[in-house]
Amino acid sequence: MLEADGLKKSFGNIVATDDVSVQFGKEDGEMVFIVGPNGAGKSTLVNLLTGLLEPDEGAVTLDGQDITTMRADQRVHEGLVRSFQVVKVFEEMTVRENIRTALLIKRKKTGGLGPRAIWEGLFSLDDEHEAIERTIDDLVEQFRLDDVEEAIAEELPHGDRKLLDVAMSFALDPNYLLLDEPTSGVSAQETDYVIETIVEVSESQNVTTVTIEHDMDLVKNHADRVIALHQGSVHGEGPPTMLETDQELRRLLLGVEE
Amino acid sequence: MTPGISREDGQLKIRIMKGMELTVRETLGLVAGLVILFNLPTITTLAGDLPIRQRPIYRGIVFGLAAVGLNLLLRHSELVSFGHAAFFGTGAYTVAVLVSDYQVKSATVLLVAAIVAATLMAALIGYFTLPHTGLYFALITLAFGQLLFSIVKGQRALGGTDGISVRTGEAGVTILEQFPTLFGIQLTGQEVPNTILLWFTLVVVIISMLVMYRIVKSPFGRALDAIGQERTRARFLGLPVKRYVWAAFIISGIYGGIGGGLFALYFRSVAPGETLQVFVSGDILYMAILGGFGTLTGPLIGGIVLETLANIANEVVFTGPAGETQMGRFITGAVLLLIVFVFPKGIVGSLKPGGRVFEGAKTLKNDPTVAGPWFRQFGQVTVEAAKRSVKNVRYLLFGVK
Repeated sequence: MLEADGLKKSFGNIVATDDVSVQFGKEDGEMVFIVGPNGAGKSTLVNLLTGLLEPDEGAVTLDGQDITTMRADQRVHEGLVRSFQVVKVFEEMTVRENIRTALLIKRKKTGGLGPRAIWEGLFSLDDEHEAIERTIDDLVEQFRLDDVEEAIAEELPHGDRKLLDVAMSFALDPNYLLLDEPTSGVSAQETDYVIETIVEVSESQNVTTVTIEHDMDLVKNHADRVIALHQGSVHGEGPPTMLETDQELRRLLLGVEE
Repeated sequence: MTPGISREDGQLKIRIMKGMELTVRETLGLVAGLVILFNLPTITTLAGDLPIRQRPIYRGIVFGLAAVGLNLLLRHSELVSFGHAAFFGTGAYTVAVLVSDYQVKSATVLLVAAIVAATLMAALIGYFTLPHTGLYFALITLAFGQLLFSIVKGQRALGGTDGISVRTGEAGVTILEQFPTLFGIQLTGQEVPNTILLWFTLVVVIISMLVMYRIVKSPFGRALDAIGQERTRARFLGLPVKRYVWAAFIISGIYGGIGGGLFALYFRSVAPGETLQVFVSGDILYMAILGGFGTLTGPLIGGIVLETLANIANEVVFTGPAGETQMGRFITGAVLLLIVFVFPKGIVGSLKPGGRVFEGAKTLKNDPTVAGPWFRQFGQVTVEAAKRSVKNVRYLLFGVK
């Protein structure tokens, strides 16, 4: 269970999140979507949960452990993984090399946290080569990147770059995956394809996936649960039908008066 | 895996050690380079009046080694250090102080001390650069380099601007007996000890290069690549980025320290202007770019080429209305511009597949007639560049209108 307990964060006079308490995660994983108008605090919430930002008040707990002050890279090894709104991949590496890098970091030897780990990472060549290559094969297939596996990341079409970004997150074997607008900037044709792939892989691996999303049709089709934020606070949470029934929410999200 | 020969995709590969395979071309280049370097004393004697001298080449080797270290940060973590002289100077001064103040004479002990001192200095300076990248990283390294330069220059105990001699100053022995010893041989700067020291240096350089090869090919090296290309992502894949950068910074400093220690042993005197000044840091960076910072051996070769070139260029004197001017800096500066604009991958990088010289030679071999258009294009680009610089100078002098 990933829990935010009374998270508060301000930037100067602007309160980005104000006393936000939410919980994510079931035994077999769930698809949670975070919705809300611009400036609602969606990205700030994800940043607080994953350690990019430190909260002014409140706590973050992961499976019962308080991780509020834990370093971001350590949280990853505890199973808490995220992606960014802007694609962040290693631009000069191929698709396979990108995923390989993620897998090598996941290994204790390179990703470990003490000086000893750096020492071991320094002098062990890729001895688990075979196993790593097979994992790469699987991920490339799951994310339908087979055709472009040897292409340099910066030359990929945008949709494939998004998929590569998510594939790298899945390479880390997460329990909780936080995706900040995985469909932003993706063309209308590619959007379904990207989100369906994410849902498919999340379900097959029982990952709890928390996605920030603006496309309400996608949310309705794929969400197990929706959390709506407004002006830094939780406006409401519930099943995706909430998007139809909550008139106040509809007005906030779509500017629709009915 | 043992050394051997294998064939991959129809290309012959020569395996030196586990994970290290070279093409035939690379092996030939390596062997030729080592033969030349090990026979340098003979070659310089045979060269007679030709401008091949052992001193500048040795300078090139030791500063080049510092550039190899700098390149770990530059190539892999994409961090530009403008203060690498700090580590070179730390190594050089450690040797000089231990000899002159503490009568330590064993060259190997001195070199180990230089490594330890450089490690500590790099750990200290590196710690303060950790949160920064890009311009701020460059400025902080520059500032620390200048700080160290000023401190050393102002210390009477360290000889101020004149520096210190690398000899014990003991009473009752001749000057020649006061120098450090290597395997029982007094490093007096005469022909035989210099040759021995050169060979020892080359062995140290070979070992350092092999270690660097392992480092950049290891998961640690890959992690540095990842940090250089997308730092935030590397962090959120679970990499303790700062620790890795710190480790890389320290390794990088150690190479500078070894270079500085060897410098002190060979030249037998250490002064701040030659080892710590900001221009020295600039030269170290220049060597990496000249030789090709995308390659392992490039910075070392860049060092040798730059120092030889500077040695020749310094003999060119321009006599103008203001008197005589040494043209060394002017010529090396012009070469740097040429490299940046025409061969951005540097000497070694251009000779490799994908490099300008390599690909150009291949095209020329297939179709010699392309040479004509190339010259024309080069002419056009030069004219265009000249026009643009005239325009820029005009803007600078007279403003935009």
